[in-house]
Amino acid sequence: MVNPKVAFFKFSSCAGCLLNVINIEPVLLTVLSVIDIEYFVMAKRDNHHGPYTIGFVEGAVTTPKEVLELKKIREECAIVVAMGTCAVTGGVPSIKNFSGMNQDQLTKTVYAENIYDPFLASIPAKGIDHYVKVDAYLRGCSYDLGEFVELIKRALKGEDPMFRPHSVCNECKLKENVCLLVSKGQPCMGSVSAAGCGALCPSLNRQCEGCRGPANDCNAASLAKTFMEDLGLSKDDVVRKFRKYAGNTPEFSKGAEAAL
Amino acid sequence: MSDRRLYVDYLARMEGDGAMDIVIGENGEIKKAAWEVWEPPRFFEAFLIGRKVEEAPELVQRICGICPHAHHIASLRSMERAMGIKVSEQTRLMRELMHYSDWIMSHALHIYCLAAPDFVGYESVVAMAGNPDLLPIVGKALGLKRLGNDMIVAICGNEIQNRTSVLGGFTAVPSKATLQALKERLKAAKEFAFETVKLVVQLGNVAPYNKLERKAEYVSLYDPKRYPINEGRLYSNDGLDVPDEEYPIWILEKHVPSCNCKHATIKGKGIFAVGPLMRVNNNFNTLSADAKKIAAEVGFSVPCFLPYFSIVARALELVHAIDASIELIDVLGEPKREEIKYEYRAGESYAVVEAARGSAMHGGRVDKNGVIQKYDLIAPTARNIASLEADFKAFVPQLLNLSDEELTLKCEMMIRNYDPCQSCATHSVKVNLRREK
Repeated sequence: MVNPKVAFFKFSSCAGCLLNVINIEPVLLTVLSVIDIEYFVMAKRDNHHGPYTIGFVEGAVTTPKEVLELKKIREECAIVVAMGTCAVTGGVPSIKNFSGMNQDQLTKTVYAENIYDPFLASIPAKGIDHYVKVDAYLRGCSYDLGEFVELIKRALKGEDPMFRPHSVCNECKLKENVCLLVSKGQPCMGSVSAAGCGALCPSLNRQCEGCRGPANDCNAASLAKTFMEDLGLSKDDVVRKFRKYAGNTPEFSKGAEAAL
Repeated sequence: MSDRRLYVDYLARMEGDGAMDIVIGENGEIKKAAWEVWEPPRFFEAFLIGRKVEEAPELVQRICGICPHAHHIASLRSMERAMGIKVSEQTRLMRELMHYSDWIMSHALHIYCLAAPDFVGYESVVAMAGNPDLLPIVGKALGLKRLGNDMIVAICGNEIQNRTSVLGGFTAVPSKATLQALKERLKAAKEFAFETVKLVVQLGNVAPYNKLERKAEYVSLYDPKRYPINEGRLYSNDGLDVPDEEYPIWILEKHVPSCNCKHATIKGKGIFAVGPLMRVNNNFNTLSADAKKIAAEVGFSVPCFLPYFSIVARALELVHAIDASIELIDVLGEPKREEIKYEYRAGESYAVVEAARGSAMHGGRVDKNGVIQKYDLIAPTARNIASLEADFKAFVPQLLNLSDEELTLKCEMMIRNYDPCQSCATHSVKVNLRREK
């Protein structure tokens, strides 16, 4: 059997999701024996052009140049995986979309002058499926390593990884965690956020911030109301919560709009 | 007659994308030597305005996936200072252990996966692993990197972005048993850390690497009693010695054409460099006893102004980080869950920490409701750009007899010496070398 050709790409992001690829140290050499990494500039010097079997894409799209590169990646890869929250929803870079500042103001705040190259001029940060078809999503900031390895295994067999679409609450209940929202009155986003992390934050006594984006069929507007009416959060607090990791999604937009 | 030009449009084995542009005239003179970082900006300093103060440490760790903890801790310390929050001794020690874990992961990554392949003639660590003689070393290197990661997971919840550390303290703490198990593994890892020092000295102590010297101003935190990682004075080998919160007064930034990240100078003086080599130079005396011992054994002493020896400094810090972590685990004993309590208060402050790749500064102004009014951050890589360009100008004329391919590689290595993190600084490196024939 010929090993599938795999490529790793990065757009506007922290490179943490690419680094996470080599954070599977105990199985890394085994994984490398069943795939051929053809393109991974952060890890190797000898890189090859496509076509590729699987292309993993980290990062939000924030420049016209990245839009063109992404479209080329789509043409070159049989399977395109959005890897991590930035690529899935626009993630942290998308906070600027809702900052109330236009691009010129954003640039002046950070650089005190304009960045001159129009090709690199920033546009609203979006997840990659705003521009191209995406075949699979690795949610989370950063994504879960178990899901990453599972996705590779399933891809080798030509199967859908069947990641869970339900909310973080399901995993919290399985772990028998005390509910941060109901019992401790903390504004936890778990009930509207996609699971797969093993309820990582609530298990560490930290409220979920929704880094994996919306769960299936979630009712963000209702949670926004609960935050304001029952927990006493301000309108601005609630808007900030829904416009952090996945403000671009229609589901979390409803949460923010319910507060406004 | 034309200029000689080497060009690599996307430099490998470093975090980010950028351009290096070197043009050599027909008499071997350097007409241009520039490192151009083209990582698309993400506007953290702008979108943090109007966010809540507790969100700053949560969000800024997302600046960089390789040194998230450095940005996170600098942000915590500056925001706590701004609001007059005092944290417990346990929190300070836990933050130190968290940051040393990141150093172990990051230094193991840089030494073996990013830097070593150049020295031994491979395109990547994966290619190195294909050599049966090198495979055991690669296996051990991955084991050491995993140990750093396992420490991070124990303290922070998962590898990249921490979940437990917040303004005022930690939401959860590891058990004594977990820490003790890590301590045993750290003790076992010492042997390989010593081997690493010996190995990288062998790699670095050959021409031309051990000949390419450039005296420069080296900046880092400094503490006469304790190797600086999260706290200390802002210090240089040329007379800078000020409280770290005065960073914005002493280090000036400017945006230069053709680069998406800002260059930095010391007020009233010139350019400078940050990173492990600079830290080791400024703080050699407070390295752990074993780190100093192995340094003496391999003949490394300070001052050392050989940029290609940054890999040696990194390896010495690996030994030190292991020793320091063992000590911290002993002092922490059985960490307690502490209540996190603070009130919003208007204020402004700044703080510096030592990221694995050099000093990082964060800070800003908060209003009485805990809403951020202003936020500044400076990543290590941004400060090293001018220093790297000075390396190019000093070293390329000494390497002109090399082929274009060889010279390009040596120039790439000059960049990798700084272990750059371009999404910290904003990203992108093209190597562009041209000489007149």
